[in-house]
Order: sequence, then structure tokens, then C-alpha cells
Amino acid sequence: MDMSQYLGVFVEEAKENIQALNNAVMELESNPNSKDAVDEIFRLMHTLKGSSATMGFNKLSKMCHALENLLDSVRSEKAKVTENLIDLVFTGIDRLNDVISDIENGGDDSNLNVEEITKLISSKSYKDEKRSDSGEMEKKVVKNREEAQALSESVSNVAQKALEEGLNVYSLRVELVKGSVMKSARMYIVFHRIEENGGQIIYSDPPVEEIEKENFETTVQLVVIISMKMKELHDLVANVSEIQKVIIKPFETHKNVKEEVPESPKPEVVEKKETGQTESDRRRIKLAQSVRVDVEKLDILMNLMAELVISRSRIEETLKKYKIKEVDESLSQLARITLDLQSTVMKIRMIPVSFVFDRFPRMVRDLSRKLGKKVDFVMEGSDTELDRTVADEIGEPLIHMIRNSIDHGIESEKERIGAGKPPVGKITLSARQEGDSVVIEVSDDGRGFNKEKIIQRALKMGLIQEYEVGTMSQEEIFNLTFAPGFSTSENPTEVSGRGVGMDVVKKVIESLNGSVYIESLDGKGTRVIIRLPLTLSIIQALLVEIGKFVYAIPISAIDSTLSMKKSDIKDVEGRKTAIIRGEVVPVIDLRAYFGVEELNGHSDLVVTNYKSKKYGFVVDRLIRQQDIVIKALGKLFRETKEFSGGAILGNGSIALIIDVPSLVQKALER
Amino acid sequence: MAKRVLIVDDAAFMRMLLKDIISKGGYEVVGEASNGAEAIEKYKEIKPDIVTMDITMPDMNGIEATKKIMEIDPNANIIMCSAMGQQMMVVEAIQAGAKDFIVKPFQQGRVVEALSKVDK
Repeated sequence: MDMSQYLGVFVEEAKENIQALNNAVMELESNPNSKDAVDEIFRLMHTLKGSSATMGFNKLSKMCHALENLLDSVRSEKAKVTENLIDLVFTGIDRLNDVISDIENGGDDSNLNVEEITKLISSKSYKDEKRSDSGEMEKKVVKNREEAQALSESVSNVAQKALEEGLNVYSLRVELVKGSVMKSARMYIVFHRIEENGGQIIYSDPPVEEIEKENFETTVQLVVIISMKMKELHDLVANVSEIQKVIIKPFETHKNVKEEVPESPKPEVVEKKETGQTESDRRRIKLAQSVRVDVEKLDILMNLMAELVISRSRIEETLKKYKIKEVDESLSQLARITLDLQSTVMKIRMIPVSFVFDRFPRMVRDLSRKLGKKVDFVMEGSDTELDRTVADEIGEPLIHMIRNSIDHGIESEKERIGAGKPPVGKITLSARQEGDSVVIEVSDDGRGFNKEKIIQRALKMGLIQEYEVGTMSQEEIFNLTFAPGFSTSENPTEVSGRGVGMDVVKKVIESLNGSVYIESLDGKGTRVIIRLPLTLSIIQALLVEIGKFVYAIPISAIDSTLSMKKSDIKDVEGRKTAIIRGEVVPVIDLRAYFGVEELNGHSDLVVTNYKSKKYGFVVDRLIRQQDIVIKALGKLFRETKEFSGGAILGNGSIALIIDVPSLVQKALER
Repeated sequence: MAKRVLIVDDAAFMRMLLKDIISKGGYEVVGEASNGAEAIEKYKEIKPDIVTMDITMPDMNGIEATKKIMEIDPNANIIMCSAMGQQMMVVEAIQAGAKDFIVKPFQQGRVVEALSKVDK
């Protein structure tokens, strides 16, 4: 069978299994008596084993089997949950993970060193015995064996009596197909079926205990007392799968059983017949099913969707000139459908952040152990949904931030006690949706950012000059840590000194149209707040006219808009401000900022929200609200931070999309 | 009309594989369930001719589910899907009323044989 078509699903599910394994082992670690956790690990290993074997990854399957056995000995209380055992299981899971990655990248499981783990398992003398088969089968077998032994001397006599009572006695030769596995269970079905139908097995060769140990090739010889007809008994037994042939004939009582066993010259062979498909007039029921789709296809769909949105706007724009009533109606219908389609496509692309978060508890555990720190790791809002692409990108920055928290943030136990803090540090990773964005926060109750250290380091690196220090706000100081190569620790540790700094974090997040912001209290802790857009390609924007050009401002950044007169803007200490509903709001005249001429005396004010502070943007005219598809500006404009992208408008012209935070920042710097 | 089969397995991979094998064998896969409880619901709803039942599943395992289904329908045709080494579980399932079992890794021929034999 060609298994390659299943590879994708196999890998996907294997990854899920490994994730779940990590969680379950951690649960077991914190709760060594949890039977549920053991069962869960066992089950997951088992599932992975089965799938791997089916895919032909035998080493992988073997490895799972070894780990499954280890867990089984825990379950049957032959092994104890110790730190060593947990480490061993984790090591095993890590190896499995590596192999799955190999397989995902087109390789196979040949790099897996099964012996490494099996040796570890045996060296640590975790008992790995086969479970004693003390279940029902043995009881049945024992019963049968006693009966068989008692009867073996006089099987003939018993058979004779049965015949006198009007019962039938048959000699049965049951042959399994070659290569049949779990033969004992297979034979158990035969025994079970015979006994279920009032039959009694008075002789078995090999004896039942040998059958149970699978000490037989393919054939078993039985003598059965039963009221059934020969044909019925034959069909009963032959209808067990993997039974090749059943030869049945009446038992001859006058002969010794041992002589009876060799094949008789003319046994009645009833050939098995094919099953005919019987009619079934039952109703066919359709079921809701899910389909796994390649992410690439979703990307294509999203792109097509984006193009459709543009086309629709263009048609709308063109037709509006003619003011045809019928067309208006169809147009609004089209608009509604596109909107539905758009939100559906977007929903398809959303995945819960747990997709990213789930690997962190394990990482925190490993890291905190390595650094000898005690950390309580809490995750909140794991079910918050995020665009798949964003989720894929956000993992690395988060890893870095969490590493920072453990390595630099959380103090040693001693230091914490000295500072009057709880000995166990706390790191919280939370996610929540806020309007059109998702906010992810990493906070710790560690030592916080040391402003003095940051300043010293920044001076040393030449990021700032001595005279600037006095005027810098706390936020500006913290933002220095986003500079490339910035690190306050003198000796970068193995953990977080790997050259991936906060600058990379910032870069990744900004490339996703997100923003990152640091809050920290010296000695109390640090909170890094990441704000990401729900989706990457389509946003609602307000189109505004500035000079002769059209610009787009994302709706998510807008607080309100109002019409105003020039006289409403006042100069306060050299900065333009306006009073909006009793609030003093700094104002940025975008016409002046972009260096274009005002159209006429009229001005509109767009009030934006940036870090919960309001800023007013003066523009010539508000045009309308519209869905726009963000297109990247390309490398040439990489340094142009004020714009997050461009959008093609209905009439084919281009509007630059204003990145509010960057523009505010730049304008304030001027 | 083809016999109607309900596939029960917690691994989507296994369900997909079995579904292909079973469909190619001339049967109609009318439903899938990923755990015991779901299997019981689906059984009541669909009334399939044959059920393939994985043994190890979360929440409610295949043996429990087999017992419950046999209570609902004593004539149910349930085939256990076992991994190697699960003899005792298979035995328990057979006692609970399962008719037969197939062993992972699945071989097309063996699976179809078991299906054809079970509903005679």
C-alpha cells in the first residue's frame, strides 16, 4: 500500500501527540500519583506506536513500545515515578520529537537510536516485565486445562457418554493463516464462540496453556462436545478472521485420541464462501466532517479573497457614477457576500494561541531546572484565536521573552527570600483579544529592569549621549533594550545570550504589524506587552485626503473624528494642541508633516489612540471608511516607518497606510 | 447496498487509513467517532451494520464502549482494532460481545476479511 498520502496527517497528529505527551508527563511530574496522567501517557505512546508501525517507521514504533512498557510498569506499580524516570520519559519524547521533525523534512526514522533509550530503561532497572496474564483468559484456560487433563485419559469415554445423551462430538482442525499475529487471542475467539454456543472443549492439542503462550505454529486440534450440527460448528469457527481452514469430522470414540489427532484420510472440508453483500435499505446519514487543508492553500484563498475585495471596490466605484438603482441593489448584496466570505476565510485561518503556547511549560520546566530557579508558570487565555501566519511567527519571540524572564528576571531563591518575595518566582503568559488585535503579555515578578544598568550599557554602546540621559522618559530607557546587540548581562549565559536579542523580537513583531511595549518596576517585575493584528491582510481603514493624496488610517487606531476650524488649534509651549471634549490633546498637522499644501481652509481632525494616549491628526478631508488590502511596500521603503504598507483603491490609485504608533513617535521626535 | 460501517479510533490518521481500506473493500463508511462516548452516540444515530472499535482511546475506551453498545443492541457487530500485545484487552472485548479483532498495523486483506466474516 502506498502510505505517502497519509504522511502529512501522520506528522501532524504525531506532533499533537508529542505535545500532549509533554503536558501529561509534566502533570505526572507535579502529581506523581496521578493515575490519569500515567494512563494518558500510556495511551498517547500507544497511539503513536500504532500509527508509526502502520507508516512503516519501525524504529519509531519500537521506541514508543519501550516507553509504553516503561509506563506500563508504572501503572502496574512495578516502577515508581521518580525524577529519573520523568527525565527518561522526557528524553524519550525529545527523541521522538526529533524523529518526527526528520520525517516532516522528508527524512525517516533511521537516525533514531532506540538502544540508547532501551539501555537507559534497563540500566535504571525500571522493571520491564510482561504483564502477568492473569486475566479472564487464564481462568478459562485453567478451567479447560483441568478438564482436559482429567479427561485426557478417557476422552473417548466422555465422548461416548455425550453421544449417548444425544450430543455431537467433533474433531476439529483449526488452521490460522500464516503470519497471523496475536494467535492466542485469535484462538480465544474460537474457544469463546464454541462455549458461547453450549459447546465443551474436551481436548486440545497443543494444550490450552501452550496456546496461551503462543507455542504453536498455525494449527490447533480440538475435540468438542456440542449440540450443533457439523456445518453450523464449522461456520461458527470459520467466520473468525484470519482462520485459513477448518477441517471438521465426527469424533471416533473407539480410538485413542492421540491416534485420532493425525489427519484422517478423508476429512470433510467445507470451503469457505464469499460473503454476499446483503441489501440494506437504511437511510444514508450525512455527517459533519472536518477536512485537513494545507496552509498554503489557505494563503492562496486569502490572497484571492483580497483580490476580490479590491475588484469589488473598483466595480463599486465605477458604477456609482451612473447611479443605477438595480445595480446598487446587486452591489450591496455583493458587498454583503464578500464580507461574509472574508470573515469566513479569516475564521478558517484562525487557530488558538495554545498552538504556540503549549510547548512553553516544558521549556520553562527544563530551563528553570537548568538554572536552579523555581518558577511557577501560568498561562491564561490559551483559547484566544490568532491568524495562523501570526501564530507561526510569534513562537520565537515569545521563547526569547520567556527565556529572558527566567534567566534575567527571576532571581535565585535566596535572593528572592532576601527581598521578601515568595521563594518561587512567577511567570505569566497571557493572551486576549482587544478589538481588532490580540494582546499577548509575558510578565514576571522578578527583579525588573535596572534603569541605571541600561543607561550605562547604552552609553557604552554609543546609543545615547550623556546629555540625553536626564531628559529620557522611563519608556525611552526601556526601549533602548530593543537596540541590536543590547544585553545588560556581562557574560551572556547559555540560556539567553544566544545573540537573539530583543531587537529581533521587535523586528518580528513589527513585521507582523504589531507593536511591543515594556513596563517594568525595579525589584518588582517586568511586563512585556505585544499587540498583534488579528489578521494580516485586510483591515478596515479610514481614507483621508492630505494635500492631493489619499492616505489610509487603520480604524483600530482611531478614537474619533471631528470637523474643526484652524482657530481650534492652539500653540502650547511650542506644541500644537486642541481641546477635545475637555481634554488637551497634542495635535500633529499631517499636511505640515508630509510637507504638502493645504487644500483649502477646511480641516478635519482624526483622533487616534496610542498607548492609551490621544493624538490628533489634522487632515484636509475625511473620505470614507473602507476595507483595504495591505500590500507590503517593498525593500526600498524599509526605513519609512510611518507607513505600514500600501493599498490599491477602487479607482486604481494607491493609498499609503499610516502606522499610527510610528508616526506619533517620529512626529514627537521632531 | 453496501454494508454500513462506523469507524471508531482516536487517531485521525488511523480513521483515514481504515476509511480508505474499508471503502476500497466495498463497504460504506457512514460515520467516524474519536472516543467511546461518541461511538455510542453515533451508533444510536446511524445504526451501522459493523463497527470497527479501537481499544485504547481517551475518556471511554473501546471495551467500555463495546459493552454499552451491546446493551443497546445485542446483535451489534463490533470488530476490535488492537495493537500487538493487547491480547488481554481483546479477550475482554470478546467477552463483552465483540465479534472479532484486527491487528495494527492494518493489512488491507485482513481488514476486509474480518468485515466480510463478521456479518454473516
